[in-house]
Amino acid sequence: MNTTVLLEFSRIGFLNMLAFRLRYYTGVVTYFINVCVYYFIWKAIFAADPSFAGFQFEQMMTYVAVGWIIRSVYFNNIDMEMATDILEGKISMVMLKPVNLQLTYVARALGEAAFRLLLLTAPTSVVIVLVFPVLPPASLGHFAAFLLSLLGSVLLVGSINFIIGTFAIRLKSILGLLRAKFWMQELLSGLLVPVTLFPAPLEAISGVLPFQHIGFTPMMIYLGKYAWPEIARALAVEFLWVVALLWFGNWFWDAMSRKITIHGG
Amino acid sequence: MPGIIEVDDLVKEFRTFERREGLIGALTNLFHRDYRTVRAVDRITFVIKPGEMVGYIGPNGAGKSTTIKMLTGILVPTSGYIRASGYIPWKQRSEYTKTIGVVFGQRTQLWWDIAVVESFQLLRRIYGVSDSDYKARMKRFDEVLELGRYLHTPVRKLSLGERMRCDAAAALLHNPPVLFLDEPTIGLDIVAKENIRAFLKQVNQEFGTTILLTTHDLSDIEELCQRLMIIDHGRLLFDGRLEELKHRLWRESTIKVDFRDREQAQRFEALSLPHIKTEKLGELTYRLTFDREERSTADVIRQVVLNADVLDIAIEEQSIEEVVKRIYLGGVFEAAAR
Repeated sequence: MNTTVLLEFSRIGFLNMLAFRLRYYTGVVTYFINVCVYYFIWKAIFAADPSFAGFQFEQMMTYVAVGWIIRSVYFNNIDMEMATDILEGKISMVMLKPVNLQLTYVARALGEAAFRLLLLTAPTSVVIVLVFPVLPPASLGHFAAFLLSLLGSVLLVGSINFIIGTFAIRLKSILGLLRAKFWMQELLSGLLVPVTLFPAPLEAISGVLPFQHIGFTPMMIYLGKYAWPEIARALAVEFLWVVALLWFGNWFWDAMSRKITIHGG
Repeated sequence: MPGIIEVDDLVKEFRTFERREGLIGALTNLFHRDYRTVRAVDRITFVIKPGEMVGYIGPNGAGKSTTIKMLTGILVPTSGYIRASGYIPWKQRSEYTKTIGVVFGQRTQLWWDIAVVESFQLLRRIYGVSDSDYKARMKRFDEVLELGRYLHTPVRKLSLGERMRCDAAAALLHNPPVLFLDEPTIGLDIVAKENIRAFLKQVNQEFGTTILLTTHDLSDIEELCQRLMIIDHGRLLFDGRLEELKHRLWRESTIKVDFRDREQAQRFEALSLPHIKTEKLGELTYRLTFDREERSTADVIRQVVLNADVLDIAIEEQSIEEVVKRIYLGGVFEAAAR
């Protein structure tokens, strides 16, 4: 499959979202409220300890605000959509085409990310930056590395969601798994609190899982908390995870799809 | 001539989980499950030659769709052999799907929320159809299916008939040598049905496309297919030409005759016509039933008209539905063989 086809699938992802653009106007409000909540929580914490966990208040506020802003880019529901496609038998539509099924879903995730960037992230960032004290990136170079890491986040979420969605082949109900994965991603990506604040055992677990590279890694780069060698290492690990998860997802789908059963119709 | 689709001893089994009833049953289910194996397709063998148009019929749950899903590479057979356009569908799915087109009547192959033309563009890229081929084919499709009017509408806003036309065109955009259709005319009005049938006929004649279609509408078969396969309970009950089926099971003919007046009717009643069953329907109306093998319809009409003054004659076609219903209800082939 060539890149034109991939781009075309991304475009379809984009157009698909366009059909439901209204949903995203309400998204701006949701993200704003979330940042508000964390603003007040952290304000109370920093009132007690002005250099809590090695962060200044502005840094923590930036971590939270930009953390939510990038979540509006990388987040998608490909796992749920894929599970629905499988449970309703719509997956046959993709299986009947000479394309790699995984790449179509990951390309769709990229298309969605582009769409979110324009219609959700842009207005959300304007509102958040106007209201809260958000620091600029540490340097132009840091910002470039941050953007690269964000691309990795989109690919990570896409490849993880593809694996989760594949489980729907064997499970009659996938809701529980989707929920579990959702909260694991919210927590372990460092969206709610930086992973360095986790208790030691949880931080150790987080260290061997890919989730922290979704949110925590790009944010650390943005804030300039990493020196350049650390940035290079973090990006290398992040993209190794992308490759590994894509490879595993492809293998997993191949193994599972032999057990597919689509009854009736 | 070798077959473009070869199926040998094909079997598909599904394992289903039997739930126990009640609270205790539900608790038992947590620890011990009873599975039941259902054989949806049971040792089917057939060969389809290039350019054939084959109808595949059977009652609901007979195994038609399961067969189609195995032939298209979605389902993996439990055992048996399939080879279609040189590939083993489930093993070489990616290469194989380039050589087939698929239409599911109940499920669109197009992207639901985007304009039809966007779907076509994507398909063009996926199959690597050249610009000139794309334009030429779209023009042809437009002539027969009249797609132009709704190309820019999202699929979800199309009527069923419009959607089916788009689906049929989409399946043939890459001009595949083999086309599978699973109930392509289901739920369509008569105009849309005619439209789809005309399109399939044209494609078959012009490009020699091999077509396998399942249907519940037997007029699809009568208009399109020279060959018919009947499946029930996963087993192939009949595989042959439509005429053969008619010859074996569809031999009864009926004509309805109206006579000018009572006198003419009495003249008719006085006749003795061997092998013809006469039934009086009204004052001047009679129904004549006979076996086509024993008397030709023309012969029967001639005898009646020569002997009595007839106002009107109507030949009543016994519907193929009746024949097929008898097959589904079982025992017909055994009876016919005797």
